[in-house]
Amino acid sequence: MISYVHFPVLAVMGIFLGAFLEEIFGVHNKAARQGILVATTGIAFLLICALVKPVMFDGEVISYWMGDHVPVSGYAIGIGYEIDQLGLFFALLVVTTSLLSSIFSLRYMERDGMLGRFYVLFLMLCGAVLGLTLTGDIFNLFIMIEIMTFAAVALTAFRGERGFALEAAFKYLVLGSMGSSFTLAGIALLYLQCHTLNMAQLASMLHGNMTPVSVFAFGLMLTGLSVKAFIVPFHTPAADAYAAAPTCISMMFSGMVNKAGVYGVIRLVYVIFRAIDLPAMQVLLAIFGAVTMFIGVTMALAQHDFKRLLAFHSISQIGYVITAAALGTTLGLSGALFHAMNHTLFKGLLFLCAGSVLYSVGTTDLDRLGGLSKKMPQTTICFLIGAFSISGLPPFNGFASKWMVYQAIYAKAVESGNFLYALITVVAVVVSVMTLASFIKVTQAVFFGQCPVSCAGAKEVPLSMRIPMWVMSALCVITGVFYNQVEAWFLRPAVSAAFNVTHYIDVMMGEGTAAAFGISNVKAAAASFSYWDPILWLLLFVVVMAATGIVIITGARERGRILTPEGAEEDGKYATFFSGEKSLPSHVSGSDLFWGFKHDWKSYFRVMQGAHSGIINDYALWVVVGGAIITLWLTVFVR
Amino acid sequence: MGITILRLLFYVLIFPGCLFVTAIGLLLAGIDRKVLARMQRRVGPPIVQPVYDFFKLLGKETIIPHAANKTAFLAAPVVGFVSLVVLMLFIPVFSFSAFSGRADLIVVLYLLTIPGVALIVGGSASGSPYAGIGISREMVTMMAYELPLILVLLSVAKMAGGSALCFSLSDIVAWQEAHHSMIAHWQLIPAAVAMLLVIPAEVGTQPFDVAEAETEICEGPLIEYSGAPLAMFKLNTALKMFVMTALFVALFIGGIDTGIVALNALILVLLCIVLTVLCMTLIHAVTARLKIEHLFQFYWTFVTTLATVSLVLVWLGL
Repeated sequence: MISYVHFPVLAVMGIFLGAFLEEIFGVHNKAARQGILVATTGIAFLLICALVKPVMFDGEVISYWMGDHVPVSGYAIGIGYEIDQLGLFFALLVVTTSLLSSIFSLRYMERDGMLGRFYVLFLMLCGAVLGLTLTGDIFNLFIMIEIMTFAAVALTAFRGERGFALEAAFKYLVLGSMGSSFTLAGIALLYLQCHTLNMAQLASMLHGNMTPVSVFAFGLMLTGLSVKAFIVPFHTPAADAYAAAPTCISMMFSGMVNKAGVYGVIRLVYVIFRAIDLPAMQVLLAIFGAVTMFIGVTMALAQHDFKRLLAFHSISQIGYVITAAALGTTLGLSGALFHAMNHTLFKGLLFLCAGSVLYSVGTTDLDRLGGLSKKMPQTTICFLIGAFSISGLPPFNGFASKWMVYQAIYAKAVESGNFLYALITVVAVVVSVMTLASFIKVTQAVFFGQCPVSCAGAKEVPLSMRIPMWVMSALCVITGVFYNQVEAWFLRPAVSAAFNVTHYIDVMMGEGTAAAFGISNVKAAAASFSYWDPILWLLLFVVVMAATGIVIITGARERGRILTPEGAEEDGKYATFFSGEKSLPSHVSGSDLFWGFKHDWKSYFRVMQGAHSGIINDYALWVVVGGAIITLWLTVFVR
Repeated sequence: MGITILRLLFYVLIFPGCLFVTAIGLLLAGIDRKVLARMQRRVGPPIVQPVYDFFKLLGKETIIPHAANKTAFLAAPVVGFVSLVVLMLFIPVFSFSAFSGRADLIVVLYLLTIPGVALIVGGSASGSPYAGIGISREMVTMMAYELPLILVLLSVAKMAGGSALCFSLSDIVAWQEAHHSMIAHWQLIPAAVAMLLVIPAEVGTQPFDVAEAETEICEGPLIEYSGAPLAMFKLNTALKMFVMTALFVALFIGGIDTGIVALNALILVLLCIVLTVLCMTLIHAVTARLKIEHLFQFYWTFVTTLATVSLVLVWLGL
């Protein structure tokens, strides 16, 4: 029996080994290819799940020195893995997403060639993000970011026969490299300052000891990781990449690749630099988060393509996560992590639904779809669950986390007396309504409404594609209804790990290190929220539903009759309804459902359209300007 | 245990649940029609006309269009009705509250969207192009009033909480008992006016009934509905009148407590009638329907400004 301290490194190594095995055995042999894929992602999933008990429930922090190169006289010389509750929380998201995505891809990718290469990149991406969440070494984190970015770029370009896939990959390549360079520059400066790359040691040495150079390094790294999280103004490659990549990859982009950026930002701000208690830091991140959620959702309202629309929603939801994490309160970080988790679930689900539509109809253009609910009933139900979750309708999980986020922001507002946070609360609620609007548009344009000729041959997708969708739908409901359990089992340990860094430092660098550097635990106040009781709500809902049902059943004499043109010929009573009248399609196309709203906002949309020019030079400029703002703000206000 | 369950069932089914909400909702709808008719110098229907209409529709045949998704088409009105009844259970009737200790402003705000979403999904599932236009307008209306509504709720929360977070509805009512009703504080009067303007849009009465607009898009989302599902949707509109006015009472005119539940309920109903006549019938009688872009502009400029004024005043601590 191998001790569980080896599990994290085995999980990462297993996935990378799987990638090489795919190249050797999987290029021509379909069974070997699929077997290796599911086996490696499945084993990683099991290994990481086995860590839940010791780390999450028993509060242990696992440290693992590669090759047993332990620190020498207080200096970390080897690469160390360190798995605390925060890292494990994100690792769980990663392994869940990779497993479900790999199952979905089995049938989804069957019509593509070069699948051996595809799965090599697929597994490299999974392994890189998993390694990123588990590592305790900042240069190892950079390596993982690089592998992740290049695997992601190659996967974006995988369906390169469609021109825009190459264009999207090019944008992603340029901006992703800029992000990596910023991160690398920051790491180099930090190494110059502290002569160590270990995150725990950096956290202890930087405590109360911030030189201008380390603040500059902080700014560079924050910019670099924000590019990976696709925060506005670094969001531009995301929309193209998510839309162009095969859908199982889009799901991983939104489920774990941008989560990797979020994880990096949280780890950087909360643990390594411990800057989250500074009001200037909070304001900076909160403003970036609010702008991100607003621009993301308004751009989504203007989209014509199902997947592109989902991509902008991913950006928008990450805005919620960043805003809530920026508050620096227990409730705020709980809300942020919960929303990050829920985003992985519902956005993964929505991408899978988009993938199913693409698989069965061959297009994701909202103007050419419609009426699929009768052809694909299960996909429709899954989509509705995902759409209601992301729009935050009770009792789905999106509601529970958004509700925590709102409470956290407004509590911050009244406690700090800063009116800015009250405005951000309003923005957050309005963004949520716009999210709902945008998904109503998709529901109407894709699943309900009239069925155009192009959709006539659509069929429900195969079972292996439906299983991941149903698993995610079930998780969306379960985590929404039992959010108290999710909070107690997963969020509370992760949040307290982010705030209490002494344990993190001591486990890695030896007992008493944190105390020697004068670091004490900040706070571990329990998050307070109690006014939403989904179980009671569901119970009441069921009781009233039952009462209504009894009335309907006892009162109804006949079931509804379905009226068809053919039926009208037999029954003269309905002839008037169909007398020479043709069923004409709506003159409002699916993507343009909110023309009233767009009309009022036309000047805003014109500016946004001009800003999203599609020219890579402009986007690179955005990154530089964004990075300059972050770095200047930090050097002026954060000392 | 048995008594507790019986009491809970009483809450859910009789008061303040299904039966009470349905009866008062239909009564409000009847009064609305009667008073409107008198304002327009018509005789008007009897006050129980909505009850007659409801039972008449229940007896009619239900026809499902062949383009429709049957399940969603039939389930939508029921989901809307159920969530409205459940919502009413969370709104305190002055000091009496069935379950209102378990819900806060944000929960109420989100539960309020479910009936609207039910209408949209039902209309969308019918597959009619008229319904498509109707749901588009319904959704834009929802976006329009949601901004002032959240500003109003935050002002009330700030007023009741001071420097602490106070989202709980029953805490807000308790605060009003200890101090005065919210409406008696001059800073909140603009917010109250904004809320009064949000109510007709939420319910969908003229001039904010662009989504249903009988004369141009033939009741939009409801166009394909007939029989019992249509009766449910009509009932939902009536219930919304009651739920929204009761929410207004809880937020702004709380703090009246006679100690007798029946009397409290009576006062609530009377206040709801006054509010219905004030913010729905009166506006209906003197205005014509807006266009959707004008409706959006109206809410995001005029009503939002009113609500923002209140929020700023409350924040300044005047």
